[in-house]
Amino acid sequence: MDLIRIRNAEKHYQLEKAEMPALTGINLVVGSGERVCLMGPSGSGKSTLLNIIGCVDTLSAGTVEIAGRETGSLKDAQLSEFRNRTMGFVFQTFNLIPVLSVFENVEYPLLLQRIPREERAARVEELLERVGLKDFRRRSPERLSGGQRQRVAIARALVSRPRLVIADEPTAALDHETGRTIMELMVEMNRSAGSTLIFATHDPAVALYAGRLVTMSDGRILEDREVA
Amino acid sequence: MRNLTIAWRSILRHARRTVITVSALVVGLTGMVVFQGFLSQMMQGFRDGTILSGVGHLQIAARSQYFVDGEFNPFAYGLKDSAHLAASLGKEPDVTAVFPSTGFVAVAGLGDQSATLLVKAYPPDRMYFAPRSGIIIPPSDRFNLGTLVAGAPVKPQDSNRLVIGETASRVLGAKVGDVVTLMAILPGGNLEGRDFTISGIFSSPGRDKSFAYTDYRTAADFIREHAPPVLMVIARSIGAVPAIADSLPRNVSFRTWKDLAQLYMQVSTILGSFLGVIRAIILLVTLFILANSMNRTVLERMREWGTLRALGTKKKDILYVILWEGCLQGLLGAAAGIALGFLVSAIIDAAGGLTYHNGAQAYAIMIRPGLDSVWLNLIPAVLTAGLAALLPGLRAVRLTPSQCLREA
Repeated sequence: MDLIRIRNAEKHYQLEKAEMPALTGINLVVGSGERVCLMGPSGSGKSTLLNIIGCVDTLSAGTVEIAGRETGSLKDAQLSEFRNRTMGFVFQTFNLIPVLSVFENVEYPLLLQRIPREERAARVEELLERVGLKDFRRRSPERLSGGQRQRVAIARALVSRPRLVIADEPTAALDHETGRTIMELMVEMNRSAGSTLIFATHDPAVALYAGRLVTMSDGRILEDREVA
Repeated sequence: MRNLTIAWRSILRHARRTVITVSALVVGLTGMVVFQGFLSQMMQGFRDGTILSGVGHLQIAARSQYFVDGEFNPFAYGLKDSAHLAASLGKEPDVTAVFPSTGFVAVAGLGDQSATLLVKAYPPDRMYFAPRSGIIIPPSDRFNLGTLVAGAPVKPQDSNRLVIGETASRVLGAKVGDVVTLMAILPGGNLEGRDFTISGIFSSPGRDKSFAYTDYRTAADFIREHAPPVLMVIARSIGAVPAIADSLPRNVSFRTWKDLAQLYMQVSTILGSFLGVIRAIILLVTLFILANSMNRTVLERMREWGTLRALGTKKKDILYVILWEGCLQGLLGAAAGIALGFLVSAIIDAAGGLTYHNGAQAYAIMIRPGLDSVWLNLIPAVLTAGLAALLPGLRAVRLTPSQCLREA
């Protein structure tokens, strides 16, 4: 079953008087449970495409359908709720909320869903256990290492049991070994949750964790192939 | 609740910036509270001084027209049953004193000198003249008519005695013990004259040129008045006046101190407006400082806003976080400023207050800000701080989540 359908997607940025194309003629279909890697050099459009799929940016032309809903027709508040219930995000720079503890960061998406306290606590504890940070639940994210922060971000992305997890350069701010551990964790958790994972990287070693590789350049898809 | 939590913790996280940002508010409101406390005490003194200078908390007359021209024509306004009314009012727990008053215009002559006087008459035990030196605490159950510069006030057993103003005595060339002749026109056009002995000379700015005081019995006898035109009421407190007024019989007319002390009311209104202007300036400065700080905070935390939006937080909730931060800073600054203002006031009071001298007399003004200083400063400060956060907040929510993340 298809989770993502992108048709004739175009995205332009207005830079002063010039219009800069970021995505051109993108057509992409991603099925449920797939692990897709967007690869390409800086400025190739990977992050822009992830932003479009993640409904945090809008298209200049074309349509995006996620889980059967055309995102362009949703109002801002509907999009917020849709993101909260359908997607989990992992960012390159972790993007944890500095004034919330590890537990509260992971709990945050569930708070937005108004899930009862006991259930929230159980789900957060379970996720923290799985990412190996149960003993750090009260700690401020600022007192964690980069790898630990990204583990918290993964737990936060998965806590609401989303159908789609979007990760933009999840290992770029980490050393090679930590990056490898994070990718293994992400793939393992993604597999057990049965969700779709779509991530961007320019590191060929990280791309090996995908089942499908989409190569991009200058805002276009150059190649789209299955990998072993 | 989560919005408030994030806002509160963000303020604490940037404690140094918060302190610097709210310091303008703290300093401004500290000064404001002390100044308000000083003005409030000064105005209270002015109010009580005005009431006890001959206005009273309440004046009761037979007809309302008395309050238009009665002072110059008291014969036309005799208040029947005044003794009964005074006795009945005197039993009210909130009434300190009830007494008759009258007055007349007379030409005073001494040798070949003459002066026109407005003679006011009260029972002797309701007239107070302050001594020339020392710390003055005027009694609250009688009229404080000025400073006695020579002689003595009229005593209860005296008759045909007069306390005359210093300037008038100079015009007449009169001194204590001299006998002046007062000529007054009575009802029917008769000219009546009587000799009065000067028992004392008083000083009071603006009054000692034309005012003189005598006892009520002598005055009533002189002008052949059978009933006083007005009863003066001194209440225990300002707050008791409406209840006393409500207890009056319907066939009499009355005016409260608010109706009669027009100068006080005008000055009070002007000073109130002046305080409002100063408060507005303080809040305006705070608005600019806080808006600048909030703008910087919002820009620095674009990643946070973008992340929160990506996680599913609605625009309005982001706006609430930013508004809460502004309001909380306003609340902290205002609370600190007000508390500091009360502390400074208490220290000044403990040191004896602010003393001012009038010749050899000394008056102490305490600084006692009221509870109104709290809400009058707290609420506008919080609202101003919220307003300062509004524009940066709207700016943050105008961007898409990806724009926020890109601008971080």
